[in-house]
Amino acid sequence: MSVTRINVGPIHPSTHGVIRLVVDVDGDTIVNVEPHAGFLHRGVEKLAETRMYMQIPPYTEKLDYVAPMSYDEAYVAAVEAAMGIEVNEKAKYVRTVLLELQRIASHLLGLGTLCNDIGQMFTVFMWTFKDRDIVLDLLQEATGSRMFYVNMRLGGMHAELPPDFAEHAYNTMNYIEKRVSQYETYVEKNTAFMERMRGIGVLSSEDAKALGVAGPVLRASGVNYDARKHSPYYMYDKFHFNPKVMLTGDNFARYKVRMLEMKESVRIVKAALKAMPEGSCLGMPVKLRSPNPVNRTVSVSRELPRGECMMYLVADPQKPYRLSIRSPNMVNLAAIGHIAKGARFADLFGILGTLDIIMGCVDR
Amino acid sequence: MLQDLLSVNLSIPFWLSSPSPLYEFIAIVLYVIIVSIIFSVFGYVMGWLERKLIARAQYRHGPTYVGMWGIFQNMADLIKLLSKRDVIPQRADRVLFAVSLPLLLALSIFVILLLPYSPGLQATSLGFGMLIVFTIIAFLPLLLFTAGFSSGNKFSGISAQRSVLILLSYEIPTLLVIASVGLMANGYNLQSIVSGQHIYYALLMPIGFIVFFIAMLAEFERPPFDLREADSELIAGWLTDVSAPYYALALFLDYARMFLGSVLIAILFLGGWSGPAILPPLFWLILKAFIIAIFVIMVRATAFRMRADRVLRFGWAWLIPLALINLVITYLVFVG
Repeated sequence: MSVTRINVGPIHPSTHGVIRLVVDVDGDTIVNVEPHAGFLHRGVEKLAETRMYMQIPPYTEKLDYVAPMSYDEAYVAAVEAAMGIEVNEKAKYVRTVLLELQRIASHLLGLGTLCNDIGQMFTVFMWTFKDRDIVLDLLQEATGSRMFYVNMRLGGMHAELPPDFAEHAYNTMNYIEKRVSQYETYVEKNTAFMERMRGIGVLSSEDAKALGVAGPVLRASGVNYDARKHSPYYMYDKFHFNPKVMLTGDNFARYKVRMLEMKESVRIVKAALKAMPEGSCLGMPVKLRSPNPVNRTVSVSRELPRGECMMYLVADPQKPYRLSIRSPNMVNLAAIGHIAKGARFADLFGILGTLDIIMGCVDR
Repeated sequence: MLQDLLSVNLSIPFWLSSPSPLYEFIAIVLYVIIVSIIFSVFGYVMGWLERKLIARAQYRHGPTYVGMWGIFQNMADLIKLLSKRDVIPQRADRVLFAVSLPLLLALSIFVILLLPYSPGLQATSLGFGMLIVFTIIAFLPLLLFTAGFSSGNKFSGISAQRSVLILLSYEIPTLLVIASVGLMANGYNLQSIVSGQHIYYALLMPIGFIVFFIAMLAEFERPPFDLREADSELIAGWLTDVSAPYYALALFLDYARMFLGSVLIAILFLGGWSGPAILPPLFWLILKAFIIAIFVIMVRATAFRMRADRVLRFGWAWLIPLALINLVITYLVFVG
């Protein structure tokens, strides 16, 4: 049979942003997938060179618009490392809590869009979206904003947590834990869902390492690596948390890793809220002039919801000389040609859904 | 016919007495008008209800602005679609592209007009009425195929291939179930099928009922078998290049087919218009069709779409054997 070339995107209902996939199909079987990125290129890295240090977080946040706080934190952590600023004790806990809340919100959306992609139009999506909103309510309480927070300051946070935050968060976490189990039973008992998950889009652990994929995609292929565990930051090493690893490397593993991670995040949030010390978590107020950096080059590794992100910062006084971002979404997207080879055309979107990419981060 | 229909005693003038040609003519015109009104109202209400019910299943409100509870939202959409420009893509086969959708709709409405709606409201009383109905229904996927290929879009092309796949998987079980219904009713006359159902065939042949329901879902492109239209994969499948007025036709077609499928299931398996005599027979038929349509909508709210190869496997590995078993049981128990 002859090979047909199909152009999926840049405008397509399930491309998670503006991405173009050139798909070669032999009948219904995919021969080759070539992702074309760059439609959302804003030049964030270059832009960062023209801004003062604390003017940059609003830009880095917009890289991953589903989990903005994670990117905010990754960048601020890089600046803190360059300036040799120690984060105060309470802020470490607060950041751990907020980052895990952000992870839960992001994974919930990931599950919803995945179900959309494999053809359950909008029921699961709207349910997870509602639960995500409840998590965002918490983040709004803590930061005053629902989407773009800009709440990290050098050495701490922009404000204290509200007094009843811990109680709200505890209740919400109980609710989310219950809902995640419900979602698991809802979708995993559905044979149509499992047919499109099990054994589809397999990525072996050798290939995963060779392709350099990150985050849940890497752990789903049986590679036990999580930046929170292997280069711990903040309070992660205190909570005896284990990276969630699945061995099969298929769509189901990638989906399941995210579900397990949500439950683990719930546990971490609860533990961190319990162990939260007294005191202030305020950081340095944003001034025009920031302290001069003590380290010229730093690189910080953070486990974002979508994988490990590296912030490489060459620091000049007041401004970055160079900011380079290793985006987890970029490497995950680049692996799609390898993963989708041999799959059915309809499964391409299931695979894209389990990779859970955010184009703002891929194109930067 | 007029008297049955309106359930009142009209004082019919002599020139309208039944053998006169004028009577025949008026009866035919009235029949077409009344059935068109029934199915348009049914389709319209289902269109609105589908939006509302799906919205409820998804923690949304659905349409709220146009009219009370958004009841006129579909009308507003229709006006919007009709006021837009229709674009026929350059690479499309213009004639086929322009003809296949209206033809699909015309055929669906033709089948709708062939169905009996109550003892007084029916077009024909042919002995093989059901066979004609299903012969025409079998043409619909072929027209979908031409509609898909004529647009010249690759997504529509894939959709057209899937259309054939569905045809392969669901026509045979449908025909087998029809055969068993024919066995039960001693013929293919739709009226005698209804009058023969002292106990609903859905209770006598539960397997056949389920197979037929699934086959109708596939036949009329309802989820989880909406792989011809698969939004998340094929953009809109065979409708990808279809623009404004044609798209309105396509939406109309959707509900015409939904009406057709629901009424067919009601007639073949749920006793058609039979019901307590306090209300006219037409009411019972529409009520049954309505309940089936709501069930179809709820399936859409919960089911994951099936993959094309899986649909074929499902059709041949489950539906055809089940339909055969149903046929054999029907023969042994009720006929032999």
